[in-house]
Amino acid sequence: MSGLIPLTMREIKKWYRNPIFFVVGLLQPLFWIALFGSAFDITRAVPQYSFYILQGAPDYITFIIGGIATTTALFTGMFAGMNIIWDRRLGPLSRFLASPIRRSSIVMSKVLGATVRIMVQVLILFVAALLLPSGLILPKGFNIIDVFIIALTVLLIGILFASLFSAIAIRITRQETIMGIVNLVNLPLMFASYALFPKNLMAPWIGDIAQYNPVSWSAVIIRTLVINGKLSGAQWSTVLNNLIYLISTTILVVLITIILAEKEIRN
Amino acid sequence: MYSVETFNLTKFYSNGIKAVDKINLQINEGEIYGLLGPNGAGKTTTIKMLTTALKPTEGTAKVAGFDIIKESMMVRRNVGIVPQDLTADEDLTGIENLLMVSRFYNVPYGRAKESIDRLVKLVDLKDAINKPVGQYSGGMRRRLELIMGLVHNPKVLFLDEPTLGLDVQTRSLMWEYIRNIQQLQNITIILTSHYLEEVDALSNRLSIINKGKIVVTGTPEELKKSIGGDIVMLTFKYGKEALQAADILKSYKASRITELTIKIKSSDFSKDSQIILSILKQSNLEPIRIQVEKPSLDTVFLEYVGRSLPEEEGDSDSRKMMLMMRRLRR
Ligand SMILES: Nc1ncnc2c1ncn2[C@@H]1O[C@H](COP(=O)(O)OP(=O)(O)OP(=O)(O)O)[C@@H](O)[C@H]1O
Ligand SMILES: [Mg+2]
Repeated sequence: MSGLIPLTMREIKKWYRNPIFFVVGLLQPLFWIALFGSAFDITRAVPQYSFYILQGAPDYITFIIGGIATTTALFTGMFAGMNIIWDRRLGPLSRFLASPIRRSSIVMSKVLGATVRIMVQVLILFVAALLLPSGLILPKGFNIIDVFIIALTVLLIGILFASLFSAIAIRITRQETIMGIVNLVNLPLMFASYALFPKNLMAPWIGDIAQYNPVSWSAVIIRTLVINGKLSGAQWSTVLNNLIYLISTTILVVLITIILAEKEIRN
Repeated sequence: MYSVETFNLTKFYSNGIKAVDKINLQINEGEIYGLLGPNGAGKTTTIKMLTTALKPTEGTAKVAGFDIIKESMMVRRNVGIVPQDLTADEDLTGIENLLMVSRFYNVPYGRAKESIDRLVKLVDLKDAINKPVGQYSGGMRRRLELIMGLVHNPKVLFLDEPTLGLDVQTRSLMWEYIRNIQQLQNITIILTSHYLEEVDALSNRLSIINKGKIVVTGTPEELKKSIGGDIVMLTFKYGKEALQAADILKSYKASRITELTIKIKSSDFSKDSQIILSILKQSNLEPIRIQVEKPSLDTVFLEYVGRSLPEEEGDSDSRKMMLMMRRLRR
């Protein structure tokens, strides 16, 4: 009845069959590491304060990898919306709309497809960062629970952004419109967050805004886990708080997307 | 029970266009029913409502026994559609597209595979079925679209201009496929087209629609008869004979069209010919050539849609249609 599974399989097939999308999608996280991880190293000017700035991280890549993982989700999530518009343009959407499947499964298949891409990209990102000479250095107490929470966080932030852009695409017919919206939204989301810089380096007003930004929540969860491994009580409560924000926001956005899809999607 | 029955089915678009205006159709099980009309007549809008892609503004319809508004999911499960636009995914192969669609209808894999094999053979797509659809020719894509609407064994199949943009040969091949499908599956087919020959060749009943309204309904033969029967050209050896014959055959609406030829109308010339010829013989007249022109749907269409056309800008679409029709006849 749902159609979600065959449609999601289609998304994934289309992704790995398209050599350009596939390669670009895999290279993207590596570029992020090369650019933000080394070129932008904010501790280089003041190495004596680096431990303080990086909140205890042994190097900048370890500090920033949570931010890069999150930004990857932000940018790949946009494909979910783009693909809805492609399907409308190229015709398959009219076939899906005429089939006895829930309309939300058409949209949610895009969300799941994009989330799978994001998970694969982030996995590659972590492996590459671990292999890099002065890359990701995991602490002693780092364990399977940390890995699990990181995976959950990436999954949630992936679903969140993919749903957000899909919801935007439900009523849009032009590629240009969604590109414009993406450009408008992505930069503020990325820079008004704790993804790339710690709060104490930001202008106070941005620092305040950033605490409401899902990009910050996800980046902070991953960062706390990657830097500390075995968490103290205070660190646990930071992680859990952010996780609760993230879970509730994701559920809310997914629900809105499903309702919009059921009611509003058309050719 | 009718396979498709509409009750004052109406659609106004938000821009104020009355695309479909109180249409009442009754389509029997196992029929191939044609909806014939010029561009913008409302054919696609009608099909979209009947397949639940679009909600009617007013009225409703029953398709395969289910109400299109209240039981839209059941309607979707029981109908197949081949929309006017192409819908296959170009990145997937033909077989992948077909299998995906059959999963939308919860057809178990084994059964899906079986019926896909049969359909692929039916439309001669075997060689191409494992290639990405992006590499298909226009005719191959249309054939794929045709069977994509059939993988779940629907009771009713909607074909919206299934041969649009195909060459004459491929088109008549498509007609054969459509006929075979109808016979093998005993399915009701609703076919829209603005190719007159297509509707003539395929449908056993049809409605001509224009500007959202049904203008006339009947079998192709009935509609042709309603025009007033066969047109017969009689050619004589001498001009004065033709003149005389035209006078004698006044009751057959005779008129002289060239010096030696007159045109008469007869409801069925195969029956009337003996009488007509014997009337002529009484006056010692014998035509040297007799030409019978059966009325075509073309004449029917011009009669019901063409002649009533006011010369307005708004009708440029319908006028284009008529021009195209003429081109087709040549
Ligand atoms: N989405 C829409 N919004 C507004 N008007 C529309 C829309 N779709 C169709 N129309 C208008 O409704 C009328 C009927 O269109 P429809 O597509 O049903 O015609 P058609 O008979 O299928 O024509 P064609 O032979 O060109 O496919 C046309 O005047 C068209 O301009
Ligand atoms: Mg149409």
